[in-house]
Amino acid sequence: MFYKALWYQNYKQTRIIIWMILALFILHLPFQSILSLERWKEQEHQAQQVEDYTYEIQAWEVLEIFSQGTLPILLSLGIIALACLLIGLERNTRRNDFTFSLPFKRQDLFLAKWCYGTAAITLFHIVNFFVAYVIIYQSEYRFALELANWIEIFWGPLLGFIMFFTFTLLIGAISGEMISQVILTFLIGIFPLGIFFLMQELINVHFRIFISSPTWLEFLTPFMYVMNHPSLASTIVFPIILTGLFLWLGVHLYQKNKIEHNGEFLIFKVLNPIFLIIITICLSLLGGMIVSSLAPWNADLLRIISYWIGFTTFLLFSLLLTNRLLSMNITFRGKA
Amino acid sequence: MKVNHISKFIHGQRILSDIDFHVKTGNIVGIIGRNGAGKTTLLRTMVGILDPSKGDITIDEQSIFLYPKLKEQVIFVPDSSEAMKNYSTKEMLTLYKSIYPQFDEHYFYDLMDRFSLKAINKIGNYSKGMKALFSLVVAFSTKAKYILLDEPTDGLDVIVKKQVLKILVEEVSTNDVAVIISSHRLDELEFMANDIIMIKDGKVDSHYELDEMKEMYKKVQIVFDGDGIIPEFLSKHVDILHQTGRVYTILMDKNNLEIQKKITEISPLLFEELALSLEDLFVAKLGGDEDVL
Repeated sequence: MFYKALWYQNYKQTRIIIWMILALFILHLPFQSILSLERWKEQEHQAQQVEDYTYEIQAWEVLEIFSQGTLPILLSLGIIALACLLIGLERNTRRNDFTFSLPFKRQDLFLAKWCYGTAAITLFHIVNFFVAYVIIYQSEYRFALELANWIEIFWGPLLGFIMFFTFTLLIGAISGEMISQVILTFLIGIFPLGIFFLMQELINVHFRIFISSPTWLEFLTPFMYVMNHPSLASTIVFPIILTGLFLWLGVHLYQKNKIEHNGEFLIFKVLNPIFLIIITICLSLLGGMIVSSLAPWNADLLRIISYWIGFTTFLLFSLLLTNRLLSMNITFRGKA
Repeated sequence: MKVNHISKFIHGQRILSDIDFHVKTGNIVGIIGRNGAGKTTLLRTMVGILDPSKGDITIDEQSIFLYPKLKEQVIFVPDSSEAMKNYSTKEMLTLYKSIYPQFDEHYFYDLMDRFSLKAINKIGNYSKGMKALFSLVVAFSTKAKYILLDEPTDGLDVIVKKQVLKILVEEVSTNDVAVIISSHRLDELEFMANDIIMIKDGKVDSHYELDEMKEMYKKVQIVFDGDGIIPEFLSKHVDILHQTGRVYTILMDKNNLEIQKKITEISPLLFEELALSLEDLFVAKLGGDEDVL
């Protein structure tokens, strides 16, 4: 399965984003830990000026360094870009012709992309994690590391990133080009929680009932794995299961790719009506939610009317948009 | 290499229909057809880029789709080198050496020298002709048994084109490879191809050895007596290549003695046999002469 040529080709196609991801990991872990140590020192110093006040580092401050905050979101954007360069951009250009003409199984082509991305993420995470860990460990704030456990700070983010990368590659296997891969990654990446919130708002506007979201929905939402790492065994088990499932599906679908549909929104035309319906419904519900939020919150009837005005307007927009999306073709065919 | 009853549907449209032929090493096969006839689709299917809707491509009786490793024996040179434009010549060498086990680095440098191609940091910076030439150099260096070329001489100047065509013929004669060329340059194909496959509306319209094909047809310039219009019985049995005033240039079946006898009977004012070219066969077989080439 290890083909030097494919690793070389994948690196060549993605080397800029790979170095950007490494830079983000360095900012996220070692650099942030240095800044946090300085901040803790500063805050402790300030606390000493106040009588009867003792500064205590909180668990969230440790989590902020290792697994939460803005940088994991930026990293997940980097991961989306990596997967898009590996699959989506290949479809936009003629590189896919070259790749598919090579004497390798399509399964191996997909697995080489997955192994390459996963190896890079794992390597960058492990190295930077331990550098950050050592930086804190050798400081006077060594005790802070005891405020969080390894699932929260090491395994959760690592498995979350790998699962999210696998998910983005899977989306690449069904989408016809780079832009649709990005759009679908975001849409499906937040879909379970997203559709729940949209439905929740629909019910809330009409019946004034608020239903809180069940925890299991978070486990079904791929995006949550890059931002949230509760200290549960499920934080390890679910990403592993989802990674396995997405990888299997990705390999299977990539083998069945009809690259004559490259440049179009979706590779598998059988999915067109499903996506047409889902995107239309989601956008319409979103329209209802946005417009109803403009009405005074206690004017029930007005909120309901606003909701349906927004719903209908966005329904028309989405019908126009989805029609364009499903009939588009974006391929860069440079001549010679 | 066998193309076994390949059909291909794209967006519900039949692009290729039951294409069936056999490519033997030591041959140069020309694939000709009008624009949109399905030539590039056929080449892309032959190298496994596209999956056929029906049929199979086999090498040594094994499917290239089931055993992609067989494609080490096949190299496809598309009509654009867009895909590799960001590679340097050195990177291309590294890449191809790791893909094709028979890659001949010595031969690669030899060809680079012969065509005065300099190593470059970005292939995209080569001129159009140099890019096409470099693609061919890489393809020949892989030592693949089957070389599939899509419009290979597009953008090459006359001198380089002659060199390339010479190398193609040399490769086939000395290294026992087969070259399959899709081209509109019928004059070039005529010079080197010994096997011609004509594709019309996604089907093989005819498949002949070029010499055999030329033996089958006769190109004649003819002027009729009287009103000068070609007799109806004749127009049904011959292909009219051109008509200038009363002068018709027709393509007729050499073996149809009956037609020849009828022509003799009507005593045309002029009946002169001309040299037959592949272009004449193309025009006659694949449609009118107004917008083909």
